[in-house]
Amino acid sequence: MGLKRQEVCDPEMLKEVQKQLRLNLRLWGTTPDAAKMLLSTYSSQAKHLEELMTRTLKLGESNSALILAARGVGKSALVNIILENLASSGTLGEGVVVRLSGLLQTDDRLALKEITCQLRLENATANKVFGSFAENLAFLLESLRSGSKETSKPVIFLLDEFDLFCHHHNQTLLYNLFDVAQSAQAPICVIGLTCRLDVIELLEKRVKSRFSHRQIHLFSEEKFEPQYVNTIKLLLSLPETFLHKSFVKTWNAQIDDLMKADDVLRVTKRLYDTTHDIRALKTLLLLCVSQLNADRPKLTPDMFTAAQPIMRAEAKTNMLQGLSILQLCLIIAMKHLTMIYEGEPFNFEMVFHEYLKFSQRKSTMQSFERPVVFKAFDQLKCLELVRPVDNTRGIQREYQLVQMMITPLQVMDSLNQLPGIPTDVQQWATCSFA
Amino acid sequence: RRQSATPGMPSRQGPVKHPQTPLEKARENLHVSAVPESLPCRENEFQEIYSFVEGKLFDGTGGCMYISGVPGTGKTATVREVVRLLQECSQGGDLPGFTYLEVNAMRLTEPHQLWVQVWKGLTGNKVTADHASSLLEKRFSTPAPRREPTLLLVDELDLLWTRKQDVMYNLFDWPCRPGSKLIVVAIANTMDLPERIMINRVASRLGLTRMTFQPYTHKQLQEIVLSRLLGINAFDPDAVQLVARKVAAVSGDARRALDICRRATEIAETKTMPPSPMKSPMKSPVKRNALVGMLHVDQALKEMFTSPKITAIRSCSLMEKNVLRAVVSEFLRTGLEEAVFVRVLDQYNSLCRFDGVEPSTMSEVMCIVNRLTSQRLILTEHSRNDLNLRLRLNISTDDVNYALQSS
Repeated sequence: MGLKRQEVCDPEMLKEVQKQLRLNLRLWGTTPDAAKMLLSTYSSQAKHLEELMTRTLKLGESNSALILAARGVGKSALVNIILENLASSGTLGEGVVVRLSGLLQTDDRLALKEITCQLRLENATANKVFGSFAENLAFLLESLRSGSKETSKPVIFLLDEFDLFCHHHNQTLLYNLFDVAQSAQAPICVIGLTCRLDVIELLEKRVKSRFSHRQIHLFSEEKFEPQYVNTIKLLLSLPETFLHKSFVKTWNAQIDDLMKADDVLRVTKRLYDTTHDIRALKTLLLLCVSQLNADRPKLTPDMFTAAQPIMRAEAKTNMLQGLSILQLCLIIAMKHLTMIYEGEPFNFEMVFHEYLKFSQRKSTMQSFERPVVFKAFDQLKCLELVRPVDNTRGIQREYQLVQMMITPLQVMDSLNQLPGIPTDVQQWATCSFA
Repeated sequence: RRQSATPGMPSRQGPVKHPQTPLEKARENLHVSAVPESLPCRENEFQEIYSFVEGKLFDGTGGCMYISGVPGTGKTATVREVVRLLQECSQGGDLPGFTYLEVNAMRLTEPHQLWVQVWKGLTGNKVTADHASSLLEKRFSTPAPRREPTLLLVDELDLLWTRKQDVMYNLFDWPCRPGSKLIVVAIANTMDLPERIMINRVASRLGLTRMTFQPYTHKQLQEIVLSRLLGINAFDPDAVQLVARKVAAVSGDARRALDICRRATEIAETKTMPPSPMKSPMKSPVKRNALVGMLHVDQALKEMFTSPKITAIRSCSLMEKNVLRAVVSEFLRTGLEEAVFVRVLDQYNSLCRFDGVEPSTMSEVMCIVNRLTSQRLILTEHSRNDLNLRLRLNISTDDVNYALQSS
C-alpha cells in the first residue's frame, strides 16, 4: 500500500493521469471504449445507419435519412464512429464524405461552394470556386446527373443542424439533394442531424415527398444503475494503453470504489435526474478532475460535493450577493411593490417613495439623496435584475415602467444567506407592510 | 461564354456489387429511381398528353398545357414517358423531329435563370439572363419555316413567379406567336395556380388545356408496387395491400409507398419473423424468412408514420418530466393554452415538494426549459424575457399525460 501511495503522488504520473482523463472527457465517443459503449447503447440505430451507408457505398443505392435526438446524446459521435468503422473495414473505400453544417453554411450559395470544394469538382481550384451562384448550381447538378451507379464514386452528405437548412430560400439545396437521391444519378446518401422532433413539418411538401421518411431516433433509455454509473466509470478510468501499465489497475479499482460512495452517488444521481445530457456530466467530472493536485492525488467523494454547487449555481441570487446595501434596499422596496400590486409594473418614483418611507421612519441609517438612489437603480437595470416593460422612447427615465426579474422568494433566500445586513433592513424585508 | 469545364463526378475504380438475393433485387426495383418503362395506372393521362403534343407537332403550331397534382402522383414521370415515345416515333420517321428541353424551377437560383437554361439547351452557349431573353425573343418571333419544333417541359411552375410576372408572361406568350413552334408543358402542384397567382393576361395565354393528376387510390398503389415486383417472390400480397391502404389514406404519394416497402425489406432482412401463431410445419424456414410479411410492413409503417414525441417525453429525465407536468397543471389552473415561466416555476416547486425531491434552482429549470424547447416539445419565445417567458406545448396535454402516466 505504501509503495502505491508513493506511486500516486509522483507528479509526473499525476500529470499523465490528468492528461488522460481530460482526453476521456474531451469528446464523447472518441476513445475506443466509449465508442464501443455508444454503439452498444444504440445498437439497432447504428446498424440501420451502417447498412444504409454500406448499401450506398457497395450497391450504389441512393438513400436519405434523418437522425433526431436531444442535444448531447451523441448524434455526431455515432455517425463519426460508424464512418470510422467503415473506413477501417475498407467499406468506405473510395466513398467521399461531404460535411455541411447549418451554422456555417448559412445560405445555399455558401453550401454549394463548400460542396463543390469537398467533391473537388472541375470548377474548383485550390479550394476556390469560380462562377456565379446560378452557374455553380447548374454545374453541380450537371455533374451529379452525369454520374451513375456503376461509374461514379458514392457520396455521403452529412448535414449537421439540418433544421437550419430548412430555412434557406425555397429549400433549393434540400430539394436538389433529395431529388438526386430519388433519381438515377450519382449515388448519394443524405444524412441530416438535428434535435428538432418536428423537423419534417418544416419541409415544403415537394421536398417532403422526396425525402424517404427514414427517421432514426436516439432516445437515451439508460437507467441510472447500471448504465449511467458505467458511463461515469468509463469516463474516469484509464485505458489499457495508458503509459504506466502497472498503475491502470490500481486507479481503476479506486474508481470502482469511488462509485460506491454515497456522496458520489447522490451528486451524480441528482445530475441524472436533472438531465441526461452527457455534456453536463462531463462538465461535472471535469470540475472534479481539475481538483487533483500533488496533495490530493486521488479522486475523493468530497471533490464531487465541492463540484455540485458550481453546477447548480443560481445565477440571480449569486448576483444579489455583490450588491450594495442601498441596492438591496431598492430590491426589497421592489419586492414589496411586486407583492402588494401583484406583479404590476412600477417606475423609479414608486420605488423611491417606498424607500423614503423606510429610511425616514423606520431606519436609523442615513438616507441617501435622490440622484444617488437613481444611480443605484440604474445599475440594477444594467444588471437586468430590473427590465423595462416596453422600449418606448421619449419617456423620462424616472417614469419608465419596469418589472423585477427576481421572484420574492429568491430575494428572501439570498437575503438570509448574506452576511452583514443591518437588522432593520432585514426586518423591513420580512414585514411586508412598511 | 463557351463551356470550358465538363461537369462530371469523380469516377470509381472498384466494381459495384449487384443484388443477389430476392430481397436485394426487390429493393433495387422498389427504389424510386427505378422508373418502369410504362407507368401503371396513368394510361389515360398518358394518352391525353400524347395526343395533345402529337397534334401540335403535326400541325406545326405552338401551345401550352398545364398539369397539376399533389407530389408523388407521377406527373413528371408521365410527361417524360410521353417524350420518350415521341422521340422514338420521330426517329422512326412517323413524326416530325423536335427539340426537347426540360427545366425545373427548383433547380434555378432565381426565375430569370430560366432563359439562360433554355438558351443553353437550344444552342449550348452560356449567356446572361437579359441577353438570353432578347435572343429567345428574336428566335421565337421570327418565323423560320425549316426550324424544328421545340417541346419545353417546365417543372415547379409556381416558383417562376416574379412581381412583374415577366418570366411567366414570356413563357406563355411565345407559343402564341405565329411560327414559333413552341410547345410548353407546365407542371405544378396546385390546381388553381393560374387563377391564384397569375395576372389576367398571363392566365389567358396559358389557355384552358389543363389536366389534374388525382392522388393514387389504394388499388392503384397496390398495382404500382406489385408491377415492380413482377417475377420476384419477396412480398406477401396482403402486406402490399396494407401499405397501399395506409398511404392512400394519408397522401396517395407513390414515393411514400415505395419507400415503406423498401424499408420493410430491410426489416425483413435483419429480423427473422417471430414465430407465427399459425402452426405451419409445411413451410420451410428459409422461405418464410425470405418473404416480407405483415409484421415487417407494420413495423415500417410505424417507423415512418408515428410521431416520436411520446417516446421522447418518456426518455426525458425526472426533472424534465416534472417541468412538463408543471406546464400541464398550469394550463389546467388558468384554462389557457399559454403559461408564464414564473407561474410554471411555482407549480414546479410545489410538484417537487409533493414528490419529496428537492426542486432545482431557477437557472436549472431555465436550462431544462431550453432543452425541451430545442427538441420542440415546448414552444417559447427568446429566453431573454426570462421570468415573463411564455410557454406553449407543441403536443396536446392528453398526449403529455399519457406519456407521463404510463412511464
